[in-house]
Amino acid sequence: MITLHNISKSYNNKTKVLRTVNLRIEPGEFVSIVGQSGAGKTTLVRILIGEERVDSGEVFIGDWDITKISKREVPYLRRQIGVIFQDFKLLPKKTLEENVSFALEVSGGKPGKIKKIVPSVLKIVGLEDKKKRYPNEVSGGEQQRAAIARALVHQPKILLADEPTGNLDAINANEIIELLLRINKFGTTVILVTHNKEIVNRLNRRVVTMEQGQIISDQAHGKYLL
Amino acid sequence: MLSLYRIIKFSFQDIARNIWLTIVTITILLLALFTINTLLTVRVISDNAVAAVKEKINISLYLKADAPESEIMALKAKISNSDKVKSINYVSRQSALETFREKYKNNQAVLAALKELGRNPLSPSLTIVPKNFDESSLLINELKVIDNPIIESRDFSDNTSILNKINAITKRVNEVGMFIVAIFILTSLLVVYNAIRVAIYTHRQEIEIMRLVGASNFFIYMPYIVSAFVYALLSILIVISVFYPFLSLLQPYLEVFFMGYNVNILSYFVDNFTMIFGSQFLVVMLINVVASLFAVRKYARI
Repeated sequence: MITLHNISKSYNNKTKVLRTVNLRIEPGEFVSIVGQSGAGKTTLVRILIGEERVDSGEVFIGDWDITKISKREVPYLRRQIGVIFQDFKLLPKKTLEENVSFALEVSGGKPGKIKKIVPSVLKIVGLEDKKKRYPNEVSGGEQQRAAIARALVHQPKILLADEPTGNLDAINANEIIELLLRINKFGTTVILVTHNKEIVNRLNRRVVTMEQGQIISDQAHGKYLL
Repeated sequence: MLSLYRIIKFSFQDIARNIWLTIVTITILLLALFTINTLLTVRVISDNAVAAVKEKINISLYLKADAPESEIMALKAKISNSDKVKSINYVSRQSALETFREKYKNNQAVLAALKELGRNPLSPSLTIVPKNFDESSLLINELKVIDNPIIESRDFSDNTSILNKINAITKRVNEVGMFIVAIFILTSLLVVYNAIRVAIYTHRQEIEIMRLVGASNFFIYMPYIVSAFVYALLSILIVISVFYPFLSLLQPYLEVFFMGYNVNILSYFVDNFTMIFGSQFLVVMLINVVASLFAVRKYARI
């Protein structure tokens, strides 16, 4: 499903952040990508959502070679990959419900479809009773759940989670991981980028470890090595 | 159609939910528009005043006291044939005396001196209004060469000096006025441009999020363009609703100040409503849109 073939990336032609990375992620997998700061994890995420371009190599999402993607196609790519971030990235002047429906509205979703999908994803993440609240009126865990609901509205095949528990306490972090596991159970491929050793070890799923822009370990039922 | 509806909805939501930013942006637009309209008002008043003063400038040809009426009329007809003459008025000795008495009705000393004299000391005259103020000197030259024995005096030196002074003042007022107006307009435009950019700068996080959830550039740009339109429209409507009552209040004072001259600022703004406010709306709208496009382009780079 996701294939990275010999990809390299550097900034200003000096700092190499990815060095000939090869990775294949099958549909429905739950993969944790771990590594220290500067290992290249976030750059990998940014490449997958079309935010960065590789210097060399190929990136396939299904049959789609996104290394050749045009600027006009980037929004379409982003509608097919759900992404969540450490800082939630919710629109502060929209309610949680509006944040979720916004993702559908900007992609031309029909009102009927929006009315059907938005309440159902809010229910999945457990926010149906807080949908009228603004992001600053709910906890960090609830904001991250709203971000997950927004990522789910396009019913993506892939969900990218870039340090989703970084700003959360242990209880909220566990709730988010449980939610990601539940989403994975429905068949969505989940790629979790994290520092959190405890979470990775408890998951007992595939772990890809990166160091200095390279994959140094790829274990089917791995532990946090660093 | 659905996209248009959503863009308008997002735009109005943004305006309402960022009400302080909206108020600040509109206030800056209002200040700029008030500055421009105040300068325009001053310009119109000064132009009208100068034109009115020019209108009042006339050239008098003093005739001999015993000049026969028929010869005076013949001279009047001859002068009025000149294409540089707008109008010519014959002031008889009697009429000149009546005007003199009226003018000095509160000055007993002058009236007593006139009575003491025992006769009408004033000469008949021809009062000539030039068609074009700027061609007054040419008309004076024409009048200087008229050879007619009934002409007693043709001393135009005072008029020439006044004309030259007015011309010099008008020219300087125009030059300085244009310079000041240009500086103010440029400053206002730069302030407005930056205000819009700052307004969008505060939205940079939102723009980034819109991109991440798959919004196309069209969907990112358009609500800001609609907001720019609404800002321009609201500020113009506020300026209109405040400026006309202000002009109505100002007009009676102008009438008193320019008594005898036709200076009507209110009717100028009414007659040129579409041109004045239409062009201001278009310029403000254009600046808003350009500033919005530049700012969004900066933060929406893919």
